[in-house]
Amino acid sequence: MYRLAFDIGGTFTDFVLEDTRDHSLRLWKVPSSTGAPADAVVTALRDMLADGGIVPGDISAILHATTVATNAILERKGARTALVTTRGFRDIALLGRQKRPDTNDMNLGKQKPLLSRSDIFEVTERIEADGSVNTALDTEEMDRIAEQIRDAGYKAIAVMFLHSYANAAHERDAGARLAQLCPDAQVSLSCDVSPKYREYERVTTTSANAYVQPIVHRYLERLEGAVHSEGLSAEFQIMQSNGGLVSPSIARAFPIRIVESGPAAGVLMCAQLGREEGLDHLLTFDMGGTTAKLGAIDFGEPSIVPTFEVDTIKFRKGSGLPLNITAIELLEIGAGGGSIAETGMGLIRVGPASAGAVPGPICYGGGGTRATITDANLALGYLDPDYFNGGLMSLDLTAAESGIYEQIAAPLGLSTPEAAWGVHSVANSNMERAMRVVSVERGRDPRKHVLIAFGGAGPLHATRLARALGVPRVMIPYGAGVGSALGLLTADKKLDNSLTRVLPLDASQTSPIREVFDHLRQRLDDELRHVTGDGSGIVWRRGCSMRYRGQGYELRVDLPDGEIDEGFVAAAKAAFEDAYRANYGYVDSTAPIDGIDWHLMAVIPQATPASLGRMASNADVSEPALKGTRKACFPEAGGPPGNYVEAQVIDRYLMRPGETFSGPALIEERESTTVVLPGDTAHLTETGHLMIEINLEGTR
Amino acid sequence: MTMQATKDVDPVTLTVVWNKLISITDEMGGALRRTAFSEAVREGEDFSTGLFDRHGRLMAQGNFTPGHLGAMPYVVGHLVKQFPPETLREGDTICTNDSFLGGSHFPDFFMMTPIFLEGRLIGYVVNTAHHVDVGGAFPGSQAVQGVSEAYQEGIRVLPVRIGRNWQLDDDIVRIILGNVRLPDKVLGDLKAQQNANYVGCKRAEELFADVGVEMMDNIVETILDRSEARARELIGALPDGVYSFDDKLDDYGPGSPPVEVCVDITISGDTVTIDFSRSSDQVPAALNCYINYTRAYGMFAIRIISEFDVPQNAGVERVVKVIAREGSFFNATFPAASGGRASVQVRIFDAVNGAMSKAVPDKTRGAFTHWCNPNIGSNHKSKSRWVMYDLMFGGYGGRAGHDGEEGMAPVMNCANIPVEVHETNNPILIRRLEYLPDTGGAGQFRGGCGLRKDVEIRDAAVVTLLADRHKFPPYGLLGGQPGALSRTVLMRDGQEQDLGSKEVRELEPGDVLSFRLAGAGGYGPPERRARESIEKDLREGYITPEGAHAAYGHTPETGE
Repeated sequence: MYRLAFDIGGTFTDFVLEDTRDHSLRLWKVPSSTGAPADAVVTALRDMLADGGIVPGDISAILHATTVATNAILERKGARTALVTTRGFRDIALLGRQKRPDTNDMNLGKQKPLLSRSDIFEVTERIEADGSVNTALDTEEMDRIAEQIRDAGYKAIAVMFLHSYANAAHERDAGARLAQLCPDAQVSLSCDVSPKYREYERVTTTSANAYVQPIVHRYLERLEGAVHSEGLSAEFQIMQSNGGLVSPSIARAFPIRIVESGPAAGVLMCAQLGREEGLDHLLTFDMGGTTAKLGAIDFGEPSIVPTFEVDTIKFRKGSGLPLNITAIELLEIGAGGGSIAETGMGLIRVGPASAGAVPGPICYGGGGTRATITDANLALGYLDPDYFNGGLMSLDLTAAESGIYEQIAAPLGLSTPEAAWGVHSVANSNMERAMRVVSVERGRDPRKHVLIAFGGAGPLHATRLARALGVPRVMIPYGAGVGSALGLLTADKKLDNSLTRVLPLDASQTSPIREVFDHLRQRLDDELRHVTGDGSGIVWRRGCSMRYRGQGYELRVDLPDGEIDEGFVAAAKAAFEDAYRANYGYVDSTAPIDGIDWHLMAVIPQATPASLGRMASNADVSEPALKGTRKACFPEAGGPPGNYVEAQVIDRYLMRPGETFSGPALIEERESTTVVLPGDTAHLTETGHLMIEINLEGTR
Repeated sequence: MTMQATKDVDPVTLTVVWNKLISITDEMGGALRRTAFSEAVREGEDFSTGLFDRHGRLMAQGNFTPGHLGAMPYVVGHLVKQFPPETLREGDTICTNDSFLGGSHFPDFFMMTPIFLEGRLIGYVVNTAHHVDVGGAFPGSQAVQGVSEAYQEGIRVLPVRIGRNWQLDDDIVRIILGNVRLPDKVLGDLKAQQNANYVGCKRAEELFADVGVEMMDNIVETILDRSEARARELIGALPDGVYSFDDKLDDYGPGSPPVEVCVDITISGDTVTIDFSRSSDQVPAALNCYINYTRAYGMFAIRIISEFDVPQNAGVERVVKVIAREGSFFNATFPAASGGRASVQVRIFDAVNGAMSKAVPDKTRGAFTHWCNPNIGSNHKSKSRWVMYDLMFGGYGGRAGHDGEEGMAPVMNCANIPVEVHETNNPILIRRLEYLPDTGGAGQFRGGCGLRKDVEIRDAAVVTLLADRHKFPPYGLLGGQPGALSRTVLMRDGQEQDLGSKEVRELEPGDVLSFRLAGAGGYGPPERRARESIEKDLREGYITPEGAHAAYGHTPETGE
């Protein structure tokens, strides 16, 4: 039997086919078919089946990551959505949290909301903070509003009433009436999508769910239809932002949960590689054409955060649309190969503006005129102009150099190599700043981590980033070019749910805490029926976002299994204090702690986790991996900035396990090039991944 | 990254180090925000962080509230004078909340920690945060009415060594906590501040060790020189002249006369002087601005209007001077009361903006709606101790080519506090929170709308109001109309009663306070407003048909 995984991205659709008998993998990519993503999938499927002599019935699982929900939000191409909310609070969704995205720019407005003011309807009702009813839902008024919404032709409806996390009765009643009176529209209730307090974040999450629902629905229907028409009858599973797989029916009900689908799968791949290599503390660094995404694996598990922000302005925190969904922790910054470099006040600035893939860096010859990080990397000798993307593209070195000269070197009075080095270094310093947020600021000691770098530009910058942060080892996985599709194979099925109840963390509260988890369990049992057949093999995981009483910023910590008694409360308190100390360096053991958001997760582990490592061990190659040498910039070798020395050029596909190369070296593979610094060494692990030992001595 | 000290700093090193300095102040802010206890700090981000060199020169400042942009260097100057370098040890923290030496009112606590490298003092990290209460006559310590001198405004901490060996001094902390209404929150915030300085110190030590102390000197000189040069270039691009603008604050409490807000801005070559001397004398109410505050917001306003793209530092300060006559409202002398001076920050910006509209109309806008910053809290009759600190923001004034943004923080950049958070923490119920149609000043580009928030009180309480524009509306520019006036209404037993913008009032359970913020000023003549813009506003409910007719003479298309 086989498992098929595919990730549809903007440019390419990546496929992986796993033979479940011996876990061997086949990887390939095809250009995405814009507008009709199912077409490329079907074509590739047919080729693959014919090629491998596989009958459709042999495929036992189909795993999928997608950007469809994200793109609908970024491009504001979702359904026309109506919002029904508590009378007197029409503008909550538009007010937002009212901070301007940039303190020093008064002309930069708030992010465009998904709805207009005229799409928002108020109904008479009011629930209080303790869940009591202040004003009953005016059902006649509700029905009139439902008719108005129906007559206006809305295809999606969101409902958010104040304090519905504490008492959902009014939302449920309104939802039932809307469903009955507006049969053509899908209804999202905030008590289902996100029963957590803070009304703006909840209304945004609920509206976004409604907004993308019709598009995701259609997309999945077409895709499933297309795949099934090829004779594949296997179960379809979709990746969520939290790194877990769910059935299409859950993805259709809560499409907002699949927003960060592809990037989440990429982090899962890193976690699996870590497991195979026996590494459980990792920092992940995925640098592509436009952005870099930074994440972390703690104790072998990807770090999960309770909120996610989509569509930020200039990557500024707080400027985008906040979503109450659990997501794999990723910090995204505007630093990719296509990030544009410029000068100002005698300084070099890089990003966040990007030349993207089109027109792209100058050296692509696709009409790009602005100097980018990739142009600098080419000028520094790191990239081989004739072996880019596995030789499919050639790069124009002369054009890159003259771009760097005119735009950076000349204005600053530098030589071209110095200027290119400047662009490269400033990009590194931007990424270092972001990686510090992910590591040091969040209680992770870089010295105890391994940095996993992937994406087209990640391996070029990883070793210097590691040195700046004091990370002792860098790993460049095999097959990183299709990392998200690989990650899908390692994913478990996963469902989670959260609920706000402000409860003091003390022994007197065991019964309300038990009630909260019973409630969450009930909700998950309903969803689980769509995901797993017999309900066996489920692993339950509890968590809670807590804070010291009076604080407004919670820390999410895992809670133990078992009976909820005094011991449980004590363990919860200890878990919070550990997390608090790790993040902030001190604890206040006398201050009372409140639990705010309670989380329950159901994990259905994969019966046979894929083994990613075995695909790439080059034990039987006979050619030497050393291809020759090339002059490239390594100021670490001594001499002035912009110093070029002869570096070994190594073909990664010809490296043998155990074979060690010392920097300066450039290790080339199809999708990227790894820069190995003087003093560092690189070798292939038993399982075929590239490991670089960073010499941290003398970096200070 | 070891390098030799040379006089010239290469652009790459300079860029990288400069980035790091700013990143240290950001990281301090992150630590402060996440560990703070009070809403003002963690939700309102009413704090600031800074990094100074050993000469007390500001190297970098975090991108938080601008309220301390121009002030922090002076505070550091005062603190260092009291505690000269030879008296400081590693892990010491010096603190003050004095209104003259510090942030211009007692709730702002400054904390300064020296940075040491191998036993040598190499600089200072500083942060300041707005505490939720520092005692005094009324909850929140910002009341205006009935407070005529600083001694009524709570505890005043002249510079003291509040921390040693990275520990707060229990004795000093006990004195402070004995004088405030919410000691747990104040203690939590003091610890958060100390923690932020610890984080900043450690990062700065690493950076100085990496780069070398001498090299850092060169870099700082270069940063300051470059910043100064850029600031001069931007100011030099403005037309020379003296530009004046006069406006008024409602009053300084019920029954008092207006406060004249008058500014004269002199642009002469590549420097600018912002002079508030013609304004009223200091007043016997807690609204006065000490010079540090005036400097902070005067500096911020000119930065925005001149489109400064350099971070705030000592180099920029050489180019922009903010002054005011001693004893005037904008350069008050101790013991002038100043708890409510936050209310004035928007007006400092508005005044500078109004004056600059005569020099560079395209870079200015109609006046803001003015914000509202009430403190509602328990009194002697209340069932529990509580303080609801709130922040309300309306719209921006119209500007060339654009209507004013709706509902966004002006000047000081704060988040609002969610309705559900307020209702969970305090005995109140919020009845409504919505834009007020027809309040934005008419114009080719209209002003943003005002905002209405109704708060039902469920315990005996006292409110100290901190608002303005109840008497003098936000101005329009270039023919744009002013926005509608603000009102604060007390609804009791079915009766509505207007309150003064800075009144203090005892409240009974069942009272509803209705805050109705002014609309922002318009820009350009209303008759030039595009018909489709008017129709869109009608559709979205930002204006009513009656309002559209009154402001623009708009009538619906016949035959529709």
